[in-house]
Amino acid sequence: MSNLLWNLLLALAWMAMQGEFSAANFLVGFALGFLVLFFARRAVGSPSYVRKVWQVVSLFLFFVWELIKANLRVAYDVLTPGYRMRPGLIAVPLDARTDMEITLLANLITLTPGTLSLDVSSDRRVLYIHSMYIDADLETERNKIKHGFERRVLEVLR
Amino acid sequence: MSGLEYTFSSAIVNVVFAMLLAALFLSFVRLVRGPTMPDRVVALDLVAAVVVAITALYSIVTEQAVLLDVAIGIALITFLGTVAFAQYIERRARGDE
Amino acid sequence: MNDAMTLNTAATLLLLFIGSAFLLLAAIGVMRMPDVFSRMQAATKAATLGAACMLSAVAVHFDDFGVTIRALLVVAFVFLTAPVAAHVIARAAYFIGVPLWEGTIVDELRGRYDSQTHTLASGFPNSEIHSQADTNKSDELNVSNSDAGEGFSPG
Repeated sequence: MSNLLWNLLLALAWMAMQGEFSAANFLVGFALGFLVLFFARRAVGSPSYVRKVWQVVSLFLFFVWELIKANLRVAYDVLTPGYRMRPGLIAVPLDARTDMEITLLANLITLTPGTLSLDVSSDRRVLYIHSMYIDADLETERNKIKHGFERRVLEVLR
Repeated sequence: MSGLEYTFSSAIVNVVFAMLLAALFLSFVRLVRGPTMPDRVVALDLVAAVVVAITALYSIVTEQAVLLDVAIGIALITFLGTVAFAQYIERRARGDE
Repeated sequence: MNDAMTLNTAATLLLLFIGSAFLLLAAIGVMRMPDVFSRMQAATKAATLGAACMLSAVAVHFDDFGVTIRALLVVAFVFLTAPVAAHVIARAAYFIGVPLWEGTIVDELRGRYDSQTHTLASGFPNSEIHSQADTNKSDELNVSNSDAGEGFSPG
């Protein structure tokens, strides 16, 4: 946490020295600050922070990639006549436990085209989702969610 | 002066306007036709998203950054409306039984 | 100076075009998808992305700190609320028994809602909510338990 603060401070210092307070300049400052922290990680004692930032970036990139891939697929189905989809409501057993983990997972699933999280069971052990493209059997579909989004979300939050 | 007064730019802006109007029209059709209440709420949500987009485009065309506040307001109110509608639908279902 | 201006304009126009294309796609999807859930699939994400693109276009065009912050605020707000709105509507739609498309291959949610208490069973045998709400204790994640699903169908 204090490393994040350091990184933000470094970004702020970068912007102040440049005399330009813009979003792009903030990103540059943040990246440079991260680089500094990366090289000084032994002195500051924060290899976990570097790993965490990498996990966040990896989750973000994975999300963007899924977003583009699934968007093209849904767009193709919407724009061409006939339906190519095999939709279904499936239950995904959850490893995520806390409110934060479940919320983030459910929101990411909903924002990815082709999957929509419907509801969490009242005992919070199963997430019910509507999936538009169940290509193989249900087990494969469940595992796609579990090994794709859930693993990365838990990596970031735990 | 912004660059948006070139003819090429204004042509694209017109195309964008046309696309947004088509989107607005299509979602209105679904709003009228939608066989069930949730269909209509989804359509209404989409109408609101298109209106936010039109507001954004309009703020660029007229050079009025203040219009962004209108977009904020619309986005806020739509969300509350959707949640209220969902609550209403569920409660009505329970009352019928 | 002039070069920067045209780059800015080009980025703005590109974002505007992509955003409106997403919104049009969402509208076409809402128009021609067969049931509520697939309509939501088409509408929620594409509309969210479209609105985000349009607002980013505003931020790029004005290139001003206050405007950028406000545009990012709206984008963040839309990205946070769109899934929540989709969740409450989808839940309500399933609850009142909106018919699924006939091509739907599986419905594992069927019979899991308690129509009185609005609780949702997980299907795991040792869950306390499950034991009072439902009768099918052993067939975990079974699709074909249609007998419990008749309670809240509309007809």
